[in-house]
Amino acid sequence: MNFRSILSEIEKADNEVYEQRSDRRNVLKSFGAKVAVAALPVAVSSLFTKAYGKTTSEVVDALNYILRVKYLEYNYFHVGNNTGGLIPSADLPGFQAIEKQELEHIKYLNTTITSLGGSPYTPPNYNPSAVNPAYIPSGTYDFTGGNKYTVFNDYVSFLIIAQIFEDTSVHSIKGYIPAFYGNAGLLTQLMQLQCAEARHAGHVRLVRRFVSPAQPDNPAPWISNNIPPVTSLQPYYIGEDLASQLGIQISGLPGIGGNIPLLSATAAFDEPFSQATIQNLLAPFFV
Amino acid sequence: MKIIGAPADEQVMEADKAVDVSRRRFFQLAGGIAGAGILLSACHRRTPATDISLGTGDIALLNYVYILQQLEADYYTQAVSTYYNTISSSELVLMTDLRDQEIAHKKFIQTILGSNAIPDILPNFAAATFADRASLLTFAFQLEDLVISGMNGVVQHFTNTDYVYALSKMVTAEARHSAYLRDILSSNTFGDASVIDTNGLDQTATPATVIAKAKLYTLSKIDSSTLPN
Repeated sequence: MNFRSILSEIEKADNEVYEQRSDRRNVLKSFGAKVAVAALPVAVSSLFTKAYGKTTSEVVDALNYILRVKYLEYNYFHVGNNTGGLIPSADLPGFQAIEKQELEHIKYLNTTITSLGGSPYTPPNYNPSAVNPAYIPSGTYDFTGGNKYTVFNDYVSFLIIAQIFEDTSVHSIKGYIPAFYGNAGLLTQLMQLQCAEARHAGHVRLVRRFVSPAQPDNPAPWISNNIPPVTSLQPYYIGEDLASQLGIQISGLPGIGGNIPLLSATAAFDEPFSQATIQNLLAPFFV
Repeated sequence: MKIIGAPADEQVMEADKAVDVSRRRFFQLAGGIAGAGILLSACHRRTPATDISLGTGDIALLNYVYILQQLEADYYTQAVSTYYNTISSSELVLMTDLRDQEIAHKKFIQTILGSNAIPDILPNFAAATFADRASLLTFAFQLEDLVISGMNGVVQHFTNTDYVYALSKMVTAEARHSAYLRDILSSNTFGDASVIDTNGLDQTATPATVIAKAKLYTLSKIDSSTLPN
């Protein structure tokens, strides 16, 4: 492989390569000398992803997939909040706030996708002329996960699946963050969006921490290690026990009275999930 | 004694400070060219501090994040050692967890920066009363919210997207922290209108805006002129 000739070809094809950032130009120039030939394909692709970001259609696809998760969440909390006797009155304002913000996310994503020239996702059985189009009363979602969970009859079950949805939403948005590199406005907004989701997740987990009967996982508002609410939901937390970031072992860093405990080292970072993983995890909740 | 490489005024100052026996002993042991840098930095502690320089480019941005994470780590370290009398076991466990998570963030960024990391800054939490639960928690969630807005606002400026990805993983942990602190202080306020806008989005703010607020919480002098507006 002749690395210099590849660079030359790219330069011919697009002079902007060398103009995008002066730092990057220096990186490119010093590349041949510093990087082993075997590492080049990965390194080069990584470099140009950083320089170019993604195409508009990739960005729209990412936003649409996030929107798909948003509709699921909105419908879940909308039904829960309107199921008499399910949510204790002291907790209801919190879940109403989540429902309201999920609807705001749907509207924000619709507007953004449209402004990019894309077509916003609509769930199966979507009826634009309904009083509340975002609410899909039947035929689309199965929040029992195939008769596994009694989410609208039992508050603890409702909370467990609420936690799964919010944590999975955080994982999902985070997985798409690289799709927005190179687009300062959208990158920032997606960071803001995942923070709102993380607040929801933290809240649901805190409610679960104090619900009666006491929950075996005694959840913190953050994801400690890869601990699921119940064993059968372990797949929703696979990879959350990652204790190494950018090659740095977080649990090997000095804390107070020893190294950082593993529970805190893993809780301090939320992990991205791939689209395929998210699709599999949420499939049981679609009809 | 003569201090190699030190300006003349510092030589005089050192000569005048004959009381500090351990320092004098240290200087005697550390003589020679190799020790000159250490000696100079030691001497500088006795002169008005020059402003801490953050560097430029990604280094400056990482040092900025490093300042925010230092403030959080320092705050919870103080909180765990001097918490309010009425603290419950749950709150003490989670406060300790918060401390350890923020130290993890701080040490992580420090490790990335290596020799480019700025020195530890001196915190100033005079605005918080650690013995008072409401005061401790309020200051804590305000600090978390400031850090969230700062991290969201800085990612667009990085050249190396590895750092963007790392920050995107850290910031949702911060959002969970804020939600927790807000909720235990006042139920269901985890993401109220003070932090979530009408698009359902959390806060973002420019490095210049955030560093101006962060400076209120440190006695260290920071030159933030290399940060984006």
